[in-house]
Amino acid sequence: MKKLYLILLLTTLAAPALARDVNESLAADSNGLVSISNVAGSVEVRGWSRDTVEVTGTLGDDVEELVFERNGDEIEIRVKTPSRMFGRKDITSNLDIRVPQGSSLEITTVSASIDVRDVTGDDIELQSVSGNIDADLSGGDIEIGTVSGAIDVQGNGGRGDIELSSVSGEIAAENLSGEIQAESVSGRVSVRGGSFGSADFETVNGSIIFRADLEQRGDLSAESVNGSVDIKISSAIDAEYDLETFNGGIRTCFDKKAERTSRYAPGKRLSLTVGDGSAKVAVETLNGSIDVCAG
Amino acid sequence: MNNQDDIMRDAARLSQRIQPERDLWPDIEQSLEPQRRRNWTPMLAQAASVVLLVAASSAVTYFAVRDDTPASIAVQPEYVFDQAAFGANHNLGPGFTDARSGLASKLDTQLEKLSPEQRADVEENLMMIRNAIDQINAELAEDPDNAYLQTLLLKTYREELAVMRKVSDLTQNVMSRNDI
Repeated sequence: MKKLYLILLLTTLAAPALARDVNESLAADSNGLVSISNVAGSVEVRGWSRDTVEVTGTLGDDVEELVFERNGDEIEIRVKTPSRMFGRKDITSNLDIRVPQGSSLEITTVSASIDVRDVTGDDIELQSVSGNIDADLSGGDIEIGTVSGAIDVQGNGGRGDIELSSVSGEIAAENLSGEIQAESVSGRVSVRGGSFGSADFETVNGSIIFRADLEQRGDLSAESVNGSVDIKISSAIDAEYDLETFNGGIRTCFDKKAERTSRYAPGKRLSLTVGDGSAKVAVETLNGSIDVCAG
Repeated sequence: MNNQDDIMRDAARLSQRIQPERDLWPDIEQSLEPQRRRNWTPMLAQAASVVLLVAASSAVTYFAVRDDTPASIAVQPEYVFDQAAFGANHNLGPGFTDARSGLASKLDTQLEKLSPEQRADVEENLMMIRNAIDQINAELAEDPDNAYLQTLLLKTYREELAVMRKVSDLTQNVMSRNDI
């Protein structure tokens, strides 16, 4: 009998945590806000043509509950985890969420990855500590931040006011337009495609790559301490260029060469105006190399 | 003794306010415009550097404390920083260091909620910024009046504060929303 109890006990302890299925839906505003939070696992959001929010997927065995409620035009989806997290807890939850296409989103995770597609709402805010964020967006106010997770955003050319930031995660933006600001400490910042009226990039050690258009009267600024800055403006543009580095090199496709800033100290600068100089391009580094070209 | 009293009496009669021959600020302000930055005379550049240093130091401190940082924070011993160096001749003063210590203390509280790997990643990146600050400081010590290095150093100090605050806020935001 004791053996049987022991076997039963061991079997119970050794049993893998079982994920629970979830399948719920709520009527929603076509342009409302959907707010989602999940600690671990994944959050996948897809826009659809129905005015309904639907959540399917699995919840970790130790998840207390899935909070899924509507308050006015806001829907909250929250994976509620135990308030005390002693020992190993299975809180990994994978959520597949359908939202009205015009929804705004506010998603926060700790390590859960975030994947967003076909959502056209005005405000999109995605935050994760270490989860990767992958989003395909059409414009609007976009704010995406991580600590170590990578950020990969694709657009369809729609204009937006875009803020991307990470500490160590790489930032990649493709076919976005409008105004963009991206900053990272050690992650690489890469912007490809699209057209910008304002582009502002800052890193400490991460490199900065820009392969996109700058609008007439546009403003592009890139600063790094140790990272390299590589800018290629896709179309020829009338612009005033101001490039400066302390220890790095400056290379451009323009005729003018960089000059030493002092006879006694390192430092190089290249200032030149192309056409009427209506756009502004400013690049500064301490040690990183600078490479700039247009057209 | 009498002679000294005479000097003191004469000095007391002098005007308490001495008007400068010319107000330099409009020139300095104009020189701070990016497109004219290259035309500084050395004297104006040095004057502007000092003004810039004071103004930017205040701005950096304001940036750090404008949020919800408590006015008074119990700082753990490991977060008591030395005064923030600014080349060989200046530092950013106690206001900045207090703000940085406050943010560091708040960040430390939030970091405890993260995994060891996540904590190590944040700390490694903060170390990168501090190394960059050291690098710029070393260059600035060699060339104390270099306005470019001064600006870059201030931006990097600002970046350090921004990262500390961002990680702290993001972690706090995420964790509180998940009831951990």
